[in-house]
Order: sequence, then structure tokens, then C-alpha cells
Amino acid sequence: MKDVMAVIRLNKINQTKAALADAGISSFTATGRVLGRGKGMVDFRILKGAEAGSPEAIDQLGNGPRLVPKRLLTVVVPDDKVQLVVDTIIKVNQTGNAGDGKIFVLPVLESHRVRSGEFGDEVLD
Amino acid sequence: MIMIRAIVRPEKADAVLAGLMDAGYPAVTKISVYGRGKQRGLRVGDVHYDELPKELLLTVIQDTDKDFVIRTIIENARTGHVGAFGDGKIFVTPVLEAYTISSGVREE
Repeated sequence: MKDVMAVIRLNKINQTKAALADAGISSFTATGRVLGRGKGMVDFRILKGAEAGSPEAIDQLGNGPRLVPKRLLTVVVPDDKVQLVVDTIIKVNQTGNAGDGKIFVLPVLESHRVRSGEFGDEVLD
Repeated sequence: MIMIRAIVRPEKADAVLAGLMDAGYPAVTKISVYGRGKQRGLRVGDVHYDELPKELLLTVIQDTDKDFVIRTIIENARTGHVGAFGDGKIFVTPVLEAYTISSGVREE
């Protein structure tokens, strides 16, 4: 069992949901809005202002941490479906620009179904 | 690769983020969460608060950087010299795979 965590753009959430459903992965958890930064650390408003030559924007360039809002998806799947989930998320979310997000795959030891108390891989179906 | 999940005081989150940036770890995700710890929340007079606001910071790093990053977070998240109850916790989880969506590349 693996936990696939994906940090993606806000506006891609609906397409990602649809694509995952089409791929047969119906269950996942989405966290409201998370804030994050990657290696790029780009704030586009400041960047635009700086390109237009505004001195205030130029002063703020590269000054302090800028956090960009993202959505965080958590999908717990059996081992053999990990690659399918990763490929689906990459296919839908890839625009080729910095800021598309990251995917992490973490191990999960057990999952339990609260309704019936059963546990194991069948809980995920 | 490992994932560091740090639960810190909201007012200390910016200091931790700045500390990580200076230490060369720019990539972080921040989530607002509510929780309680061993002290069962906070009691002020007759009022008992058992869900205190915290910030959850997620960062994925190489195994070799673990101790340095944990030390950086602790130094910045602590209140006062010796720390206080409610300063937070740090959890470390293994990460099996990581992908950058924009390039589709699997990170090593």
C-alpha cells in the first residue's frame, strides 16, 4: 500500500479528479488550500511589476519567502496502481512551466475501514 | 529521500521558513492545522482549549541532510532559550519516489 501525495495547481483540481475517476481511482482526499514554495520561488505579480519597470516591485525581487497557494491531494492505493496514479497526475497537470507541483510516494503500513472495522488491501477497492 | 513534517506555532512559521531558505532548502509546503499535544490543550481559567492552531510544514529532503534540517527547524521554532510546551513536533517519514510534474522527471 502506498500513499501518493501530489501538490498541484489550484485550477487543475477538477481535471485531475475527472482523470483519476476515468483511470478507475475513485477515492482520494484533497486538502483545501496549502501554501508552498519550490526551488523557483516566483511571485508573478512582482515579476510582472518588475518587468514593467516599477521600482517598488524591483526592490521586492528575491526578498524573503513568497508562498504560492496550491492544492494537496492524497491518494492511497495498492502497490500495483502507484504508477498509474503518478502517470495520470503528471499527464493532466503538466504545463511544462515551473510551479506545476511535485508528487511524493510514501509507504503506508495499514489501512482500516471505519464503517466495518476490516483492514488490509481490500479496504481500498 | 525523507519527508519532514514539522508542526510549529503559527507565529514561528515565518521564522522557520526564512531559516530553511537561508540554509538552502527553499521547497516547503505549509498547511494550517489544529491539534493538541501531551498537555491536552490549554486551560485558561475555566475555559479548556483542546484544538490549538498550528502550522504544518512539509519538506522532502535527502537522507543525509536530515539532522541539519531538523536542527534548523528546532532552532527557529523554539520559544525562548530552553523552549516551552506547545512549540510543536517534528516527524520523519520515508519517501519512496518523488516526481516533478512540470518535467515528469523522477527525482533521485
